[in-house]
Amino acid sequence: MNAKLTALISGLGVIAVCAPVLAHHSFAVEYDPKKPVEGSGVIQKVEWTNPHMRVYVDVTEPNGTVTTWNLELGAVNSVLRRGWKPADLKAGAKISFKGYGGRKILTRAAADALTLADGRSFTGASGAPDVPK
Amino acid sequence: MKKIAVASIALIGLTVSLLAQEPARRGWWPKLGGEFTPTASDEIAKGPVPRMPDGKPDLHGPWTGGGSNGDIESDGGLKPGELPLLPWARTLRDSRKDDNEPYLYCTPMSVPRYNPYPWNFIQSVTSRGPGTIYIQHENGDAGRIRHVFMDGRAHPDDLIPSWWGHSIGRWEKDTLVIDTVGYNDKFWMDSRGTPHTDRMHTIERWTRINYGTMTNDFTLDDPGAFSRPVQLKFTAKAAPPGSELMEFICTENNQYGLAAGVENIYKDKGYGLEVTPGEQK
Repeated sequence: MNAKLTALISGLGVIAVCAPVLAHHSFAVEYDPKKPVEGSGVIQKVEWTNPHMRVYVDVTEPNGTVTTWNLELGAVNSVLRRGWKPADLKAGAKISFKGYGGRKILTRAAADALTLADGRSFTGASGAPDVPK
Repeated sequence: MKKIAVASIALIGLTVSLLAQEPARRGWWPKLGGEFTPTASDEIAKGPVPRMPDGKPDLHGPWTGGGSNGDIESDGGLKPGELPLLPWARTLRDSRKDDNEPYLYCTPMSVPRYNPYPWNFIQSVTSRGPGTIYIQHENGDAGRIRHVFMDGRAHPDDLIPSWWGHSIGRWEKDTLVIDTVGYNDKFWMDSRGTPHTDRMHTIERWTRINYGTMTNDFTLDDPGAFSRPVQLKFTAKAAPPGSELMEFICTENNQYGLAAGVENIYKDKGYGLEVTPGEQK
């Protein structure tokens, strides 16, 4: 129950601190705030590219099938300026994510938070990877 | 346990109600999707204007802002409805959807648009003294490098309309004045869809007022789309000292529209040519 409560509170936090920062395009055009998504899996590949960085995550469903999520982040330049490094995201590493699904294709999602197996969580708000205390 | 359960239900209700409000909000962003360019601290920003060897202001930043991305009317300091658009231009702006702005397909933004990515003035110095001033935008192919000729030349009279036009500059005391003509009509002036024509003439007056702040007093004169010249004002903020621009090739991996099935309305047309001003009634 505590875990659920924490999740709910952090979910509220995510909503509350969303700042209207301009990006390459309006996220609301492509992604649906009413479709929060989350999952855990393995990083298939990372594209350190513009205009948006992408992290592809293979998620194994309970029935054994694998779904590849295409997670969109900000411009790679913005991600680097937040203090991320290529070593932070490696293919083959375990990762969990939260985000918002695409309006037409749910698995093309806008990433809102990424958490690595070592507990480091990237939310982008602090300007650097957020390390849990 | 009971208290926690009640709290959870309350939070669920709050979450749902907050989420329900989201579609009406513009500028909604997941945190990892928002862009980030740091700006100089207040302590550094209030420092003096740096000077070139010839005593002119050193306009090197890099900078963020100094123009508009979403709406030149409100960002430029006007009240709603004050932008003196001709009826056809107002109708066109109001019919445009920001899903369709040409910039999303990696075409240039042009003047006076500045997005969250940094840009910079580069004041060249030659054997004969100060030379051409260049304006570099980080978002590469959507920005290119503007040339501001400082040698006193006039605009050519046979310009082919282009995305960034032809710019000549001069100093008025400590203000860099950039006069530009020769724009094409293919770009939107903001994501709201404010149109213009190839008759547009712009004058930017850039004044660095301290280390971290630079104003852009912007004159927009386009008798093809506006009933009179209009004066707008924007402010740019300097990045921390030592900041550099990075590579940004927009066409490298642009997957815009795929998640939502947005149709590319320009597939069979020229960018921004959904309406020809001369055909407006």
